[in-house]
Amino acid sequence: MIRARPERQAVLACVTLAALVVVLFPFYWMVNTSLKPPDEVFASPPTFFSAHWSLGAYASLFATKPIARYFLNSLIVAIGATLVSVSLAALAAYGLTRFFPRGATPFVMFLLFTKMLPETLLIIPYFRLMSDLGLLNTYVALILAYSSFALPFSVWMLIGFFRSIPREIDEAATMDGATVLQTFRRVILPLARPGLTAVALFTFLLAWNSYVWALVLTTDSSMFVLSVGIANMVGEYRVQWNELMAAALVAAVPVMILYSLLERHLVDAITAGAVKG
Amino acid sequence: MDDATVAVGGFRGKRRKPRSAAAFGRRWYGYAFVAPVALFLCAVVVVPLAHAFWTSLYRVRGLNTTFVGLGNYVRVLSDDAFWHSLGVSLVFTGCSVALHMLLGLALALLLHALAFARTPLRILFLTPWMVAPAVGATIWLWLLEPQFGVVNYLLRAAHVVSAPVAWLGEPGTALAAVVAVDVWRGVPFVMLLMLAGLQTIPAEQYEAAAIDGASAWQRFRYVTLPNLRYLIVVASTLDIINTIRHYDIIGVMTAGGPAGGTEVLPVLLYNTAFRANHFGEAAAIGVALLVLVLAFSVVYVKLTRLDRQPSA
Amino acid sequence: MMTRSTIRATLAVAFASLAIAPSIAQQPIVLQWQTANLTESQYEPVWKKTIAEFEAANPGIRIEPVLVARKDHWTKFVAAAQAKKAPCIVSVDLTTAAYNGYLMPLDKYWNAEPAAFRNAYSPAMLSAAKWKGHLYGVPIWGGTYADIYNRDLVVKAGLDPAKPPKTFADYIAWGKRLTGNDHWATAVLGGKTDTTTRVLLTWIWANGGEAFNDDMTEATFAKDPKSLAAIKTYLGFAGATGIAAPAPTTTNYLEQTTLFAQGKIATMRNAYWAVAKVEGDNRAMKGKMFVAPNPANVPNAPTLATMTASSISSSCPHPDEAWKFIKFDAGKKWSIERAVVSNWMPLRNDLANDPQIRADPLLAEFVKIGEHARSYPLPSPIWADIAANDIVDAVQRALLAPDKTDEIFRDLDARLTKKLRDI
Repeated sequence: MIRARPERQAVLACVTLAALVVVLFPFYWMVNTSLKPPDEVFASPPTFFSAHWSLGAYASLFATKPIARYFLNSLIVAIGATLVSVSLAALAAYGLTRFFPRGATPFVMFLLFTKMLPETLLIIPYFRLMSDLGLLNTYVALILAYSSFALPFSVWMLIGFFRSIPREIDEAATMDGATVLQTFRRVILPLARPGLTAVALFTFLLAWNSYVWALVLTTDSSMFVLSVGIANMVGEYRVQWNELMAAALVAAVPVMILYSLLERHLVDAITAGAVKG
Repeated sequence: MDDATVAVGGFRGKRRKPRSAAAFGRRWYGYAFVAPVALFLCAVVVVPLAHAFWTSLYRVRGLNTTFVGLGNYVRVLSDDAFWHSLGVSLVFTGCSVALHMLLGLALALLLHALAFARTPLRILFLTPWMVAPAVGATIWLWLLEPQFGVVNYLLRAAHVVSAPVAWLGEPGTALAAVVAVDVWRGVPFVMLLMLAGLQTIPAEQYEAAAIDGASAWQRFRYVTLPNLRYLIVVASTLDIINTIRHYDIIGVMTAGGPAGGTEVLPVLLYNTAFRANHFGEAAAIGVALLVLVLAFSVVYVKLTRLDRQPSA
Repeated sequence: MMTRSTIRATLAVAFASLAIAPSIAQQPIVLQWQTANLTESQYEPVWKKTIAEFEAANPGIRIEPVLVARKDHWTKFVAAAQAKKAPCIVSVDLTTAAYNGYLMPLDKYWNAEPAAFRNAYSPAMLSAAKWKGHLYGVPIWGGTYADIYNRDLVVKAGLDPAKPPKTFADYIAWGKRLTGNDHWATAVLGGKTDTTTRVLLTWIWANGGEAFNDDMTEATFAKDPKSLAAIKTYLGFAGATGIAAPAPTTTNYLEQTTLFAQGKIATMRNAYWAVAKVEGDNRAMKGKMFVAPNPANVPNAPTLATMTASSISSSCPHPDEAWKFIKFDAGKKWSIERAVVSNWMPLRNDLANDPQIRADPLLAEFVKIGEHARSYPLPSPIWADIAANDIVDAVQRALLAPDKTDEIFRDLDARLTKKLRDI
């Protein structure tokens, strides 16, 4: 910390506050709209506070739509994708850093390449693939899709992280008679916890917010995830804006909570893994 | 480059021996570890890529296909819409990424200098990134609405403008608006990366610079930036690749309008595939986009010497 | 040599399989039904009843609704159709889907129906559901476009609601009286959806103009002078004449109806379904609207009526059952329900005198106006593309540069003609 003088801090605090207002204003508006009655949503001039604020939109949202079910589906898919992504990425990153140290960068290039394909082109082939495998309307299809999108960044981040764990630790474990797998599981993974947490958070967010794949790969309403449920609320003839905003907030809250709790791991991981490569 | 075949369990007799891998002579372990991801991604990448290449060689009208070889590429590359879209993409990506990096770094410096409430502030500044891009875009769509939007209301109340501005109604302002929304969404992540980087810069370097009489700007230029160089390069690479592929914000806010003013390549691709129903041409555009991004990455990596590992 | 226990076991298995067999035989046939309207809240109560009653009357068939947001409806349908796994019963852009091979011709089912059923649809309506001579859908509902007015604002401007404008000149005169500080007479639709094209066509036809030639091989937006004049007049509302709300290039159905509901514009060219939207947005608007036919410069000018049809996808494994449902859904009962509850116009010509329809003056007026309407979308397999892309682009360009309108629409004609000949 360089010279934390009070006047300087005060100035910085003002600038931060201004930036915060700009960044958070849309959320404030979401909350505001979700609490208003439908007539007031488009009142002109727009109202920033309303005497008629109520949780009515939330109540009717939960009453008319199976939000709890959508929430559960989102949770299952996101957690599933996170588990798959974390395990596969950890395995790959460990393998690369320990066995192919010079091969790591070309592999990362390959990973980046896989991210370059525009999503739109993937829609029809993915559908056909899942349909042929009989995986339509299943959690598995979505978990596979989301894991594949999260893997490039996850592997990249974990490569950096594993590289910072000295090889001597592996060797010490081997001296003690551990097999490669045991070394990996019992010794290295616990050390890599911040990196794994970061990867988990990142994958969870990606899976939680994704829409296109759930749109195309699920037709049964009982399998819809939150993002599909929210999109279906935007009719052309009528949009219940307060309910829509309420739903969007319900969808955003778990992610915010998760990130608040685990945020420092994210920073640690980036610090250790990404900064020095 | 050792050419020794590893004696112990050298199943495949590889050409090279890993450096300190004496105890890990069994290379196949390495393959086993990497195989799941490699196979998975191959399936996920190779299958759709093959499908895309294949489709781009056909004139597709739903279930009726006719082989046209490179005909689609000729059509796409001779159509003004493609080149216009490429231009818009470059402008959009360039502005967005530049602003992401500048504002992300600025915010990180700001938060780094603050002595209080760091974690809550970090979470708060991360929130735009946590909301799905489509949801964020929908909210901004209504904030920018000419008659009922809050932005115009505030601007008029503050007497900055006298009449409602049609933000998304004209090509110039529409492009600025979608860039602004993309910046809102994308800055948090860069800020996080930069903040993490700032925290690893040893205080001694700053102290040494201060002792040498360096000004704040000089400290920034000669201490902060070099330390963050790798991170900046990596972050901007990922950002460029992501932004050039980005569809959601523009798709929701303007669908490429007005008059094609915000029609970036992913939007053109989507419109060609699902509005015009020309899947063959869409695949050709997609392949062109892919080649473009690939070419850029190779050049960028060479320029920034990303492929050379910094000493760990 | 069978032991007693073996005999018992065999008998048990035999009985068990006899018990299971009928229930396997009774596995209901599941038909998926996808239309963008299933997610419209004003239609939900009706379709739920429709499915419930159909399933009760047909125990071996189950209808599974596929809910999808309107803007993604076609994408989802195409992804499934390309893999030959599309839902059995769909409502999609008929000509495009038929041309792409996604739909099944319905001639054999249609011709097997009694005359009473078939005659409920006018030949014009049916020809809109045909492609290359085959029928691909049963018209289910539509939307007739007319001018909806805010009675209070009209009266406040000193105009007579009983004498709505009959010609373009009348309309402009009304428009000038209805425009003031921060409120306007109408809105010009210029957003990137095909609704922009719909409203544009109504103005062109009202002037006696044509946008295309008879067999849809040539575009005549600029070539036909009456069409070009109408375009200039209409787009001029947002420019020279100044009676339309600002920012037309971002005005879609949603903005237009919101402006109307909030009293910012006094009239809108829209279909009956907009009434429910407006009343939902602003309860005070209930009963305060009246509708009038589009002002026209030629006698007997047609308005535009969108047509939604129910079709069977080409990959459907149970077309007979699907036809049963379509027939059920197209019946009088549900057509009236849809009209009264969801505000979607019936396309049958035998309902004009139904008491429920006549009980709602707005609805009755719309039905009357709809008797003289041309069906939309226009019968071309690339209609979805040109209506939402090329024509909208031209409108947007013309709104941004009014003095180049001639040139812009001549370019549009050339582009469209090339596309139409290149199918």
